[in-house]
Amino acid sequence: MINQAVTYLTATLVIYYAAKWLYRKYPRVYLSPLLVTPAILVALLLLTHASYDHYNEGGVWLSKLLQPATVAFAVPLHKNLQTLKKHAGEIVASVLFGSLMAMLSSALLARVMHLNGELASSLVPRSVTTPIAMNVSQMIGGVPTITAVFVIMTGLLGAMMGPSVVKLLRIEGDIARGVLFGTSAHGTGTSKAFELNPLTGTISSISMILAALFTLVAAPVLLGMLG
Amino acid sequence: MKKVLLAAIQVALLMGFSELMNRLAAWTHLPLPGSILGIFVLFLLLQLRIVKLEWIELGATWLLAELLLFFIPAAVGVMNYIPLLEQDGIRILAVVMLSTLIVMTSSGLLAGALSRRKERQPS
Repeated sequence: MINQAVTYLTATLVIYYAAKWLYRKYPRVYLSPLLVTPAILVALLLLTHASYDHYNEGGVWLSKLLQPATVAFAVPLHKNLQTLKKHAGEIVASVLFGSLMAMLSSALLARVMHLNGELASSLVPRSVTTPIAMNVSQMIGGVPTITAVFVIMTGLLGAMMGPSVVKLLRIEGDIARGVLFGTSAHGTGTSKAFELNPLTGTISSISMILAALFTLVAAPVLLGMLG
Repeated sequence: MKKVLLAAIQVALLMGFSELMNRLAAWTHLPLPGSILGIFVLFLLLQLRIVKLEWIELGATWLLAELLLFFIPAAVGVMNYIPLLEQDGIRILAVVMLSTLIVMTSSGLLAGALSRRKERQPS
């Protein structure tokens, strides 16, 4: 089934780069490649009655690059250490506050919307990077695979909404913008932040790491308190 | 062409390194995924100049520039949850959107206010 894997991989690359070209010509939120590419692929798979497992024989080659790409965050971290040190206080304070709001608002909004307890717990860690979110979900009585879906939804929405929120709230400066993307939308938000400029991306990757570590420690305690 | 080859070799190096970090995370029973551990270890190695920046910089830059692409297969995976989304999708979407807005507003505004205050009072 090597052929099939290569076909799906090629299709993903072609659609992605076409979507990227389209987005450069018409930069509209709903034309974001991160939305358009999966939407077209899902439609194609459903139309041809192909399963996700089949698709993923090719797709997994791209997912495999996610790990070294995450490790690669060490490079901008290393290059921008001086700036990060200078702004450590603001970054830490606002990431912790944002992460706290992420967990609280997810839990409370899920309750308001009458989603069941399992879904609510699966939603709580949705704003941090997938492996840690799944881990936290397990600890607090959620379903890790469903959490993974919510993490992806958060990433897509965050990367799409982020630039408009920045404009609307007049968030200025690389520090504040980086914190906003990394805290709210983990790696996906961070890749959007790198599109703005390298320093914003670096701040975003730091924020993403901090948010993940804080959520790992704080979510079980917080959920215990909410009862 | 030489640059492309060099970047490919560096990406392969980073892949090997992150696999090594996965093993290390499993072996030490740290509650951290290998990729997060990998950031810390690689950062330390760069700081201590055990790993030189030019060994990996080209590959790392390419990986970070194409980061969005690597999320696509996971996003396609949402198709396995179409029944769940048909049932609760709108309410879930509402929670995720509203909560994401709350997080962006709270973290972004606080960071903005704190860094403005710092600019006004140079230490």
